[in-house]
Amino acid sequence: MLSARGIEHHYGARRVLDIDSLDFETGSITAVVGANGSGKSTLLRILAFVEMPTNGSLVLDGKPIRTRADRLAARRIVTLVEQRPFLFSGTVTANMLYGLRARGCRGSEAKRRVVETLQLAGVADLADRDARTLSEGEVQKIAVARALALDPKVLLMDEPTSAADRSSTNRLYQIVAEARDRGVTVVIASHQLEEVYRWSESFVSLEGGRTSPVSPENVFRVEIPAGTGSKEVRLGDLVIHLVTDTTGPATIALPPDDLIVSTGGFSSSARNQFQGRIQRITDDGRGRVTLRIDAGVELVARITPSALAELALSVGSPVVLSIKAMAVRVF
Amino acid sequence: MDFLIEGFRRAVQLILSGDADVFGITALSIKIALSSTVLACLVGIPIGFVVGTTRFWGRRAALTVLNTMLAFPTVVVGVVIWGLLTRNGPFGGLGLLYTWWAIVAAEVVLAVPIAAALTAAAVQSIDPRVRRTALTLGAGPWRAHWAVAGEARFALLAAVVVAFGRVLAEVGAAMIVGGNIRNHTRTLTTAVALASSQGDFALAIALGLVLLGLALTVNVLLQLFQGRGHA
Repeated sequence: MLSARGIEHHYGARRVLDIDSLDFETGSITAVVGANGSGKSTLLRILAFVEMPTNGSLVLDGKPIRTRADRLAARRIVTLVEQRPFLFSGTVTANMLYGLRARGCRGSEAKRRVVETLQLAGVADLADRDARTLSEGEVQKIAVARALALDPKVLLMDEPTSAADRSSTNRLYQIVAEARDRGVTVVIASHQLEEVYRWSESFVSLEGGRTSPVSPENVFRVEIPAGTGSKEVRLGDLVIHLVTDTTGPATIALPPDDLIVSTGGFSSSARNQFQGRIQRITDDGRGRVTLRIDAGVELVARITPSALAELALSVGSPVVLSIKAMAVRVF
Repeated sequence: MDFLIEGFRRAVQLILSGDADVFGITALSIKIALSSTVLACLVGIPIGFVVGTTRFWGRRAALTVLNTMLAFPTVVVGVVIWGLLTRNGPFGGLGLLYTWWAIVAAEVVLAVPIAAALTAAAVQSIDPRVRRTALTLGAGPWRAHWAVAGEARFALLAAVVVAFGRVLAEVGAAMIVGGNIRNHTRTLTTAVALASSQGDFALAIALGLVLLGLALTVNVLLQLFQGRGHA
């Protein structure tokens, strides 16, 4: 549906994106994850055709998007909900109508779609409110509703639930999943990993503007056997013990802060112990040291600088990673 | 001090009695000010929009030129326009010198930089998300620009009002290219200058009060409009 090839983007001399290849399938939800400044928002603006990449190309529905006319046509089937959405001055309904009119939908049909979408998003009571009087959470809901009213083929959302409570978040993702089922390609950038992993089929992890083969949060797609309670899943050569009632395809995460790093095995209640070797050490200067460890698959663990010094760890040091079966997250 | 009080008393009398001179001069001034403002905004606002919203080589220089032109001496503009419109000038054949159109031409030259510079400042201060949001919702470039203008409408209106105020209160260029001819090119400001030089203090005060009244009316209308928009 939407593909990016050789995307490079610079702000001045600084390269903020360097992506070889990305494909977003029709009728799928893809999560884009990564730390602040990793390039998520820039990527989404490029995918929405509102920012031109310095180099590289985008292909939509098999057609390369090259000219200004191509980009305008693309923006009529792709839409983006920004991290801090903007509502034009005027009522909520006027905001909802703006995009519909820009896409040639007018009159009673446009009004019908506004009413339907506001009801779907559970914000019908805000229809006549002045957009400038809405709370941050309400603005976010209206921005999502405004995008959904356009019935886009590609829906891009940047942190769509950062100001939402849990019930609103669940409602939003249910609506998004329904859109996915209708064939909409959805791409969501979010810090709220639990939600995006639960609802997305695939994810793209960005680190310093590049796609990372490993999520910063040790997230893996696995097949969980039938049954309840304690189970084992295979991850390459590793066997992971976990506790879940989920079965079938699922996403699991080994939170980097929950991985215990030691220099030798020790007796403990942790069911998971993996031997590995440190490949890279990064100190963020704010009391957190990130270790990249090759344990058969690449895993990330975070420790404090004092732990690093006490264990005398350096690149190449052998380590043992431990994590309780109950600490392995299943989405 | 008595002559001041007497001047105000006679000024009020002139206004209330519907003095034909006062009302004729006022009508001409409003006609010139409105015509100049409309023409200046038709030219200046698009220039300001382009300078304020697009990136091009020499943009900073263009902004500097616009801001410098805000301080253009009005008599210099008057002399230049006079030179262009005089019988031996390049546009002398049009026969516009010492007509109200000549005053309009001079006022337009003075007001275009105001409309352009204030428009550029207005659209530059608008949140960049406005244009981006319009684009993500499927707007073409013109519709996206219109969205920016919509969000900047109060600042743009203020630019129009400032331009109107400038041309209404201008005297130097109007005197040079208009000639201050009674019933033809005599505006409120040139009439005030003439009346005070002739010692007709009451007429000067009366016309001055009308000028102030016009400026006050326009600003009150602007305030009311802004108040409604922000309610």
